Amino acid sequence: MRLSLKKMAVSEAWFNRLVIGAITLGFLALVATSLAAYHSVRENQFHSSQVNHTFRVERAIAEFLSTMERAEVGRRGYLLTGVAAHAKTFYDARKRLFPALARIRDLTRDNPRQQADVTRLIALTRSDLPFMDQSVALVQSGRRDEGVGLFRNSVGRRAITVLRAQATRMINEEDRLLAIRGAATVGSIRLFYVTFAVAGTILMLVGVGSIWVILGYTRILTASRDALRLLNADLEGAVRERTADLQRANAEIQRFAYIVSHDLRSPLVNVMGFTSELEGAARRLHAMMDKVDAEAPHLADKDARTALSEDLPEAIRFIRTSTEKMDRLINAILRLSREGHRQITPEKLDMNAVFGSIADSHRHQLDEKEIDFSIVSKLPVVVSDRLAIEQILGNIVENAIKYMSPGRRGRIEIRGRIEGPRAIFEIADNGRGVESRDHDRIFDLFRRSGVQDQPGEGIGLAHTRALAYRLGGTISIDSELGRGATFRINLPVTLVAEQEA
Amino acid sequence: MNNHKPVNIIMIEDDEGHARLIEKNIRRAGISNDIHHFRDGTSALEYLHEAPDGPTHNGPALILLDLNLPDMSGTDILSKIKADANPLKRTPVLVLTTTDDKIEIQRCYDLGCNVYITKPVNYESFADAIRQLGLFLSVIQVPDLPEANG
Repeated sequence: MRLSLKKMAVSEAWFNRLVIGAITLGFLALVATSLAAYHSVRENQFHSSQVNHTFRVERAIAEFLSTMERAEVGRRGYLLTGVAAHAKTFYDARKRLFPALARIRDLTRDNPRQQADVTRLIALTRSDLPFMDQSVALVQSGRRDEGVGLFRNSVGRRAITVLRAQATRMINEEDRLLAIRGAATVGSIRLFYVTFAVAGTILMLVGVGSIWVILGYTRILTASRDALRLLNADLEGAVRERTADLQRANAEIQRFAYIVSHDLRSPLVNVMGFTSELEGAARRLHAMMDKVDAEAPHLADKDARTALSEDLPEAIRFIRTSTEKMDRLINAILRLSREGHRQITPEKLDMNAVFGSIADSHRHQLDEKEIDFSIVSKLPVVVSDRLAIEQILGNIVENAIKYMSPGRRGRIEIRGRIEGPRAIFEIADNGRGVESRDHDRIFDLFRRSGVQDQPGEGIGLAHTRALAYRLGGTISIDSELGRGATFRINLPVTLVAEQEA
Repeated sequence: MNNHKPVNIIMIEDDEGHARLIEKNIRRAGISNDIHHFRDGTSALEYLHEAPDGPTHNGPALILLDLNLPDMSGTDILSKIKADANPLKRTPVLVLTTTDDKIEIQRCYDLGCNVYITKPVNYESFADAIRQLGLFLSVIQVPDLPEANG
């Protein structure tokens, strides 16, 4: 599993780099496309205006040419017919000739070649027009033949032909420009298309790549999520299995303790019962011995008397104390096994009140031995089993009272604090303490420490530890011989009621 | 006690010593009725139901029952005796055992046990309890069995 998590981390870094790269690339492509589009539009605009300009120039030249033709048509008509309307046509057209030329000159100011041509055109027009004017004026003054003669003079005809050629050359020049400009426009459009295609391709590649990467990543994510879920389920299963194992083991031990203690009790009843019977028989024998002493002293045997009055009672006394002790031990085991059966019912416990009531129930002993009992800090509230907590704490306080150092004023101090989900309570005394090698041992059943000058079977602390475990807690001791002991109980702040096994 | 037929005491107890001690103390209490002792459940049940001189066929009885038997649990015997169809269902059963487990005691009373006594380990108390049981036996009335007419 660790391997695939590692793979996951690697793929994550790889994925991040790739995605950032792809986004950057896509962004760059977009910027390039926009720039290309902008550039191409600008180019296009420029070229269109150039083309327009060319068309305007061509139109102006054409207009000049047609005006010139019109003037010539008017003149020729007038020369032929002498009708005044033709003269008017000539004059109307003639009036517009120079403005038309001026327009051409203005429009082609950017083109030196065209300027030269326009200047030439103007010069030609200037040199030709006097002949035309003259011929028309001659007809008007009645000298028609002279006018026609003037027309026949090749100058007039040459002028118009040259003019036409000149104008055509200019138009050709404009056409050339038009071709160049058109090609430039097409070129810029092609450039735009190429840029667009390249950028589009890049964008598409980035898109496809991103989708591919995301799909791949999603697949990895899904796989790892599935793996995680499986692992989780496994973990829950493992915990459940473990808990069941523990509960089974616990139940097994309790059943064992129960059966053993009961089966041990049966023979004990016999041992004690028949010991008493023996005692009763001995008593009767004793009475008979007394009678023998009184009535037939010569029959009395000294050894028999000693056996009856000393050996037998001594044997019986030892049998009895031993069986009584055994009975107490068996009862202790039974009590421990019963404690395991008891249903734990968590409730909210104000530990100040709990310790207060423990102190009250030992008030008599505390006063008698002059022990100061104090709760040093305000104790936290916990949720736990009241009876078990009272038994644990009561037992430790009882021990503290029991094992005070003679010749020193006794002191018992209670402290409590919360550490995360755990509540820790300390019961510190200044009694005789426990040697460090016995710190674990004192929690074992039937084990005691130090001078055996106090009654007890070595059951209390074993019971206390069993109860602490039952509440999901631990108990430990911190002590130095002769310096007092501190018992530390670590409990969950909130005990969750166990399920029925 | 019953006027025309003496009550048989049937003791089902696997521990020889216990049986002796019980018998001794019953006798000391002045009870002289027959005591039939069985060490296991099978032979006890057979006697109870089948034997010609057993309680089913021959007169009233009182059963002293230990719960810890080698071949079956005392509660099994109790539930068999107290079953509806059993002619012995009204026969008093005194459970006399070492078990002092509350749940076990409740179960026995639920099954129809008439008296439940825990054997005290302390012999004085034990002897005392049995002697009092003897006094008790000397005054209780035991019902006649409907079929017990032979």
